[in-house]
Amino acid sequence: MIQTQNLVKRYGREVAVNQLNLTVRQGTVFGIVGENGAGKTTTLSMLATLTVPTSGQAFIAGYEVTHQPHEVRRAIGYMPDSFGVYDELTVMEYLRFYADCYGVDRRTAERRAKELLDWVDLGAKRHSYVNALSRGMQQRLEIARCLMHNPEVLILDEPSSGLDPRSRLEMRAVLQRLRSLGKTILVSSHILHELGSVADEIGIMRGGELSAIASVNVMLAHSDAFRTLWISGEGPREAWEAAFADDPHVLNVVDKSPAVEVLYAGTVEQQAQLMKSLMDRGVVLYQFAERPTDIEELFLRLTDQGGEAD
Amino acid sequence: MRANPLLYKEFRQRMRARRTPLVVAGYFVSMAALTFFLLYENVQGQLVLVLPARSEQVFLLMSLLQMTVVAFLTPAFAAGAISGERERRTLVVLLTTPLSPFGILVGKVLSSSALLALLLVVSLPLYSLVFLFGGAVPQEVLAVFGFQVLNIVLIAALSVLWSTIALRSGWSTVLSYATVGFMVIFSGVVGYGLRLLAQSPMEFFALRWSNDLLALNPLWMEASLAGVVNVSRHAWVLFLGFYAALVAVLAVPAVFRLRPQLWRLLPGDERNYQ
Ligand SMILES: Nc1ncnc2c1ncn2[C@@H]1O[C@H](COP(=O)(O)OP(=O)(O)OP(=O)(O)O)[C@@H](O)[C@H]1O
Ligand SMILES: [Mg+2]
Repeated sequence: MIQTQNLVKRYGREVAVNQLNLTVRQGTVFGIVGENGAGKTTTLSMLATLTVPTSGQAFIAGYEVTHQPHEVRRAIGYMPDSFGVYDELTVMEYLRFYADCYGVDRRTAERRAKELLDWVDLGAKRHSYVNALSRGMQQRLEIARCLMHNPEVLILDEPSSGLDPRSRLEMRAVLQRLRSLGKTILVSSHILHELGSVADEIGIMRGGELSAIASVNVMLAHSDAFRTLWISGEGPREAWEAAFADDPHVLNVVDKSPAVEVLYAGTVEQQAQLMKSLMDRGVVLYQFAERPTDIEELFLRLTDQGGEAD
Repeated sequence: MRANPLLYKEFRQRMRARRTPLVVAGYFVSMAALTFFLLYENVQGQLVLVLPARSEQVFLLMSLLQMTVVAFLTPAFAAGAISGERERRTLVVLLTTPLSPFGILVGKVLSSSALLALLLVVSLPLYSLVFLFGGAVPQEVLAVFGFQVLNIVLIAALSVLWSTIALRSGWSTVLSYATVGFMVIFSGVVGYGLRLLAQSPMEFFALRWSNDLLALNPLWMEASLAGVVNVSRHAWVLFLGFYAALVAVLAVPAVFRLRPQLWRLLPGDERNYQ
């Protein structure tokens, strides 16, 4: 549905996107994660026909972005990383305007606008002025705007950037609902775990290259298998070390005084064994708890080979 | 309206903007005050002594003044059309819709001309007053009115094009006012100056330049419509041809700005506009 072949974008000497090969299958959500300046926005704006690739090709719904930009524009809904809204327009008028741009007929537009506004929790704001909405609401409105012409593909550039934690959660809920619509979605973020519950596949972008790709299902399966244990207690150092060394399921130990963090690849029963072994060696335990595994850490672990490649 | 959603949206926004009624009311009040003053001066307080010949001067003065005012007002409404969208970060989304660059530009030109045309319409009753005093014939009033509308659209088009070419509203405002300055002031002052020089018979070239420059001046051409000066058919061809060509020439880089895909037709790197 979305495919790029050796996509390159250079700005003068600087290479913003380098030989990008990306495939997003129909109906799946692909998350691009990368730091500032990694090339996410450049990639997405080439796909949105706003920037022309220096070389390489990109196809959306079978259309090539440079040679068939018009068809591509009809097939996509694009949300830029920073966008503004118009003054003096109400939410409904705002959505109607974009529907008109795509030639959606009035009745469909009206019905769709109402549905979508309820869908992004803005039903009550229908007649408010767009510029009077909070940033979080405007960002959700943008999602609704992208869907007004019912495109097959959505390209969302950091949909939750600049939001407070609460609005981020609301945005995440919207993105999860988006997934259920069966659209093909390419979404970027600079925070990995924000996409963990949204995307099917995640790619890490660094210096204009996609350095690692992993399926979220695989990651989640691993995150079930990998547990992070948080252990604190008092006892001789050798006793701690011996207990950890004896247990083959201990993958990694990080000292985070006053406790240690242990990456553990064993069952709950095996965990109990570790606890017993520590106590047998004379360690007085204060705390022995399981913490949710940081998906980011896990990803980097799983794709270590990707990290070493550059 | 459905054909150009941008136009519809802009009308709505502009008519809701707080400054719109202020501009319209302010304009009407000042024009009305001026008309009454001129007419009163004209009859010297003696309403029985109407002099149509002098009322004609009132008509001319009013139309020239109106043309000058709208010529200088138009860039204020049009010079931010595209650069303003860019600065407010709404342009990117607009460019990912199927709207064509041509549609976007036309929508912007017409929507920014609309308010100025409204100013002309509210001043029509004043013209009919002058007409009542015998200052003009209806054909003249209509011709002048039509010509003013044409100039509004022309200046709006030039301003919108500058606004697309220049990256910032500041620059596009400067360029638009420079254009209007050329049209209204430079061509008039230099053209008229050359005409005075050309009083001596050997200055044939000065006379030609003078005629050509004056032909580019909307005030001069308007005066000819009011029957005060005589211009040749050539002058009209020059006026229409020159400004049509200017719009066409500016439209090329403007469309390139809005459609980066076009750059691949040219060698070298494209500039990223959004
Ligand atoms: N218009 C431009 N002109 C020149 N260089 C640019 C331009 N746009 C982007 N770049 C460069 O390309 C690189 C990638 O930028 P890009 O905006 O794609 O990164 P990003 O991953 O979206 O970052 P962020 O998280 O900050 O949004 C950067 O080094 C940037 O300096
Ligand atoms: Mg970005």
